[in-house]
Amino acid sequence: MPGKFSKVYKILGLIMLIGLIAFIYQLYKGLIVTHMRNSFSWGLYIATWAFFVGTAAGGLVVSSSIYLFKVEALKPVARLATITAFVFAIAAMTILLPDVGRPDRLYNIFIHPNFKSLLPWDFLVLSSYSLVSIIYAYILMKPEIYKFGVSIPLLGLKGKRNITDEEYKKLKEESFRKAKKLAPLALPLAILIHTVTAWVLATQAARPWWYGGLLAPTFIATAISTGPAIVILFSLWVLGVNERLLPAYRVLAKISALSSIILLFMYYNEFFVRFWWHHGEDYEALKLLFTKYLHLHVIEVFFILLSAYLFFRYSDVPKKLVQGGIALIIGVFAHRFLLLPSAYNIIPFRVPVIERYGSEEWSYPIAHGEVIGDLLKPGKVFVDYWNYYPSIIEILITAGVMAAVVFVILKLSEILPVEEKA
Amino acid sequence: MPRWGMAIDLGRCIGCRSCAVVCKIHNSLPPGTWWQRVETIGAKVHHTPVGRYPDFSEVYLPVPCQHCDNAPCVKVCPVGATWQREDGLVLIDFERCIGCRYCMTACPYGVRQFNWQNSDKNFKEAFKKLGFSQNWFADSSYRPGYPYEHRTKDGRLVFTPKRPRGVVEKCTFCVQYVDQGLPPACVRGCPGNARIFGDLNDPNSLISQVIKRRDVIRMREDLNTSPKVYYLLPEYKSYRGKIIYEKILKAFERMAVNL
Repeated sequence: MPGKFSKVYKILGLIMLIGLIAFIYQLYKGLIVTHMRNSFSWGLYIATWAFFVGTAAGGLVVSSSIYLFKVEALKPVARLATITAFVFAIAAMTILLPDVGRPDRLYNIFIHPNFKSLLPWDFLVLSSYSLVSIIYAYILMKPEIYKFGVSIPLLGLKGKRNITDEEYKKLKEESFRKAKKLAPLALPLAILIHTVTAWVLATQAARPWWYGGLLAPTFIATAISTGPAIVILFSLWVLGVNERLLPAYRVLAKISALSSIILLFMYYNEFFVRFWWHHGEDYEALKLLFTKYLHLHVIEVFFILLSAYLFFRYSDVPKKLVQGGIALIIGVFAHRFLLLPSAYNIIPFRVPVIERYGSEEWSYPIAHGEVIGDLLKPGKVFVDYWNYYPSIIEILITAGVMAAVVFVILKLSEILPVEEKA
Repeated sequence: MPRWGMAIDLGRCIGCRSCAVVCKIHNSLPPGTWWQRVETIGAKVHHTPVGRYPDFSEVYLPVPCQHCDNAPCVKVCPVGATWQREDGLVLIDFERCIGCRYCMTACPYGVRQFNWQNSDKNFKEAFKKLGFSQNWFADSSYRPGYPYEHRTKDGRLVFTPKRPRGVVEKCTFCVQYVDQGLPPACVRGCPGNARIFGDLNDPNSLISQVIKRRDVIRMREDLNTSPKVYYLLPEYKSYRGKIIYEKILKAFERMAVNL
């Protein structure tokens, strides 16, 4: 029996397959097939990781605020939001697999964790977050699962119990009570995953583009703008539109738009402070954004503003909501990518060269790690600037993981009772 | 317990990059990987003077791993593969590193290098790229460098000529030699004898005396990494050319041997 999304599944499955093949190729060849090198040691995978964590955090912010802040309008999308939270949290951990050079040794993080480093903490909060979100989803959907069962592919109908209407009603009350109890745990955890992810970068004094207290708040702002947008997109896709969902979309769109504006405010606030001093590493990092990476910066600001406009102005029009959501994803993804160039291409090892007529800071070049060129056209060995762009393998693997995310969310929302039934 | 440190005399460094080459050979570094760099401060190209006529300067800056006491790489390593040994050396366990490259982000000195590809393959391809028609490494098992694995007392692999792929590596102050009571290869190989290696805990060691008596700086002191590599500033430029040749020649006369 062909389902609603059978064509989509085929396309997604193909992208996933290509991604998997690319991953196997990368495992075989080594990370040389990426375009990262010694001086630019993190690339697209890490940008995608930050993006996924943000989106995951947004998911439980939506569903827990129903119970914490009594935003009843969001109730119809709560289940889908918890599912997206779960899937994106898992995806955030998955996208780190192709980034590490020795995925076969990842067990070391369990047997020799260094708790001074923020990476084990990030792993800890991400895994507990995915656990909490799946428990949350189960609590919300338990009555329907008991009453109607879940039809799992190949296994058939499971979990169905014979319960009377009265027991069903009781289960619903219990589900509401438990969700209300879990919400105060879920919301801080949602904030925490993105804060810890930001701290991974923000604690590095060697990288002035990240170092400081403002990275975590901007990460949270991105989470609260992309999370709801993703929920809107999936909800429109899976559940469509009805008079119960429209108010939910309206609230979500407004939250997202407001958060986008806050994000841009914090971003430019930081820029002004850096710009005013006009010298030093902080300023150089900013200058790089506005010169060599201006095109990406324009994309990020334009699309984030566009989505904020569409979400504010047309929060009732499903078509505009889709456009706004897609615009936001493009904008925020560019925003996430721009975490990297200004951090890595401002080499932290700088030596001041003081002359009679003035002084300048000189960056000490880094061996990029590969022999390039030949005798006629020798390549550089030491570089103080690495023009990073993702290689085709990096793009294919990332696309594969993204396709898997969409695939799993669609499949889960097909199997599980994401719609509340009477 | 000694606390190993290094002092580099910038007045003596002639920028010949012997240290980098000696290091590369002794530690079997794969092509493209350098634990030791020497550059001319302020210049885009090494060995070019910096400044405007007539105020030129040409000071060379050799940079090994700084073996910081407050090393950011040690703090960020999620699995403790990078650690500081009791004698102050910052080492990497080749068998524990997961290759996440967080340490490369954290290191302000850019000394950390990643094994992006299989080391043997890298050798073969690089030799081909560099135009060696013989293709040296194609059918020979010979590799340059210290031929044995080296483990610390607690059994952690800190040097191996067969470099595993996907791990980070960096200057170890030649731990395989230091553990045998020898100074690092770059110290022994420097033709200008610009490097001093020794025990910072011993007040009578040459390095302690030099640090005490001469003006020393450390790199990026503002980041509070407390490096154990000290740089002796080059002497004031007008002293140059004031060598009294007559005295030197006389000294040589006495040493001359009649054949």
